[in-house]
Amino acid sequence: MATYAVTTLIGLSIVLIGLLLLRPSITAEHGGKIVAFLAFFILPIVATVMGSSIHLENSTSTQFCLSCHVMEAHGRSLYIDDPTYVPAAHFQNNRIPKDHACFTCHTDYTMFGDVNAKLRGLRHLYVYYIKGAPTKLALYEPFKNRECLHCHANGRSYEETTPHKEMKDQLTNNDMSCLTCHSKIHDVANIDKTKKWKGPGA
Amino acid sequence: MDRAARLQRKLKTAAFLLIVGLAAEGISFHWAHPTSFMLFIIIGGVLVFAGIALYLIAIVTA
Repeated sequence: MATYAVTTLIGLSIVLIGLLLLRPSITAEHGGKIVAFLAFFILPIVATVMGSSIHLENSTSTQFCLSCHVMEAHGRSLYIDDPTYVPAAHFQNNRIPKDHACFTCHTDYTMFGDVNAKLRGLRHLYVYYIKGAPTKLALYEPFKNRECLHCHANGRSYEETTPHKEMKDQLTNNDMSCLTCHSKIHDVANIDKTKKWKGPGA
Repeated sequence: MDRAARLQRKLKTAAFLLIVGLAAEGISFHWAHPTSFMLFIIIGGVLVFAGIALYLIAIVTA
């Protein structure tokens, strides 16, 4: 819906600019000056601000993350048919939204992280198109527990179970990683050897 | 070159920058990929910003 609105604004702005180019005499009138101000200033700014918001929202989608072929194996790992694999179990059981699966657990990545993360995001473009992606992908920093705790903290199954309740401070302070115990994650090295879930209703 | 002609030339250049920039922004919405994001920001955003700046310079200095 928002995309249609922005596309319409862009189209309107281009038509008005074209009209003013063909008939510059319009701007001699007071009304023409207002139209020119709308076409040259207000509409492009509104379209660009709304467009930025749409692109930022799009960049949190699973489709966006998996659009780079180097992420294909990570995408396939969400379909591993084994409930002990944490990302796959979360994805297949709707514990995370399927259309924002990557971003839900990697909220500090590239555009959405600090300045360093944003610069790494730009570097990814250079690596992707010019240098070539490394064969083994890895996070720049250890996975932070906050990515788990922003959903699980204060949840009964987390707060009242052993060993979570005994280690709550360590887990909250990131002194011990959730992945120490929940260590089966994407496992892209063995992705071809694992059985896959075919999706709902399959 | 008189002032009116200079103003026209600046407005034409601003119009060209804005049309190309806005078209790039419009095209970028058609696929979800980091390249489309960069097309929006680097081509679209920069050209639109340049077009608006030139338009403002043109009307202020006219």
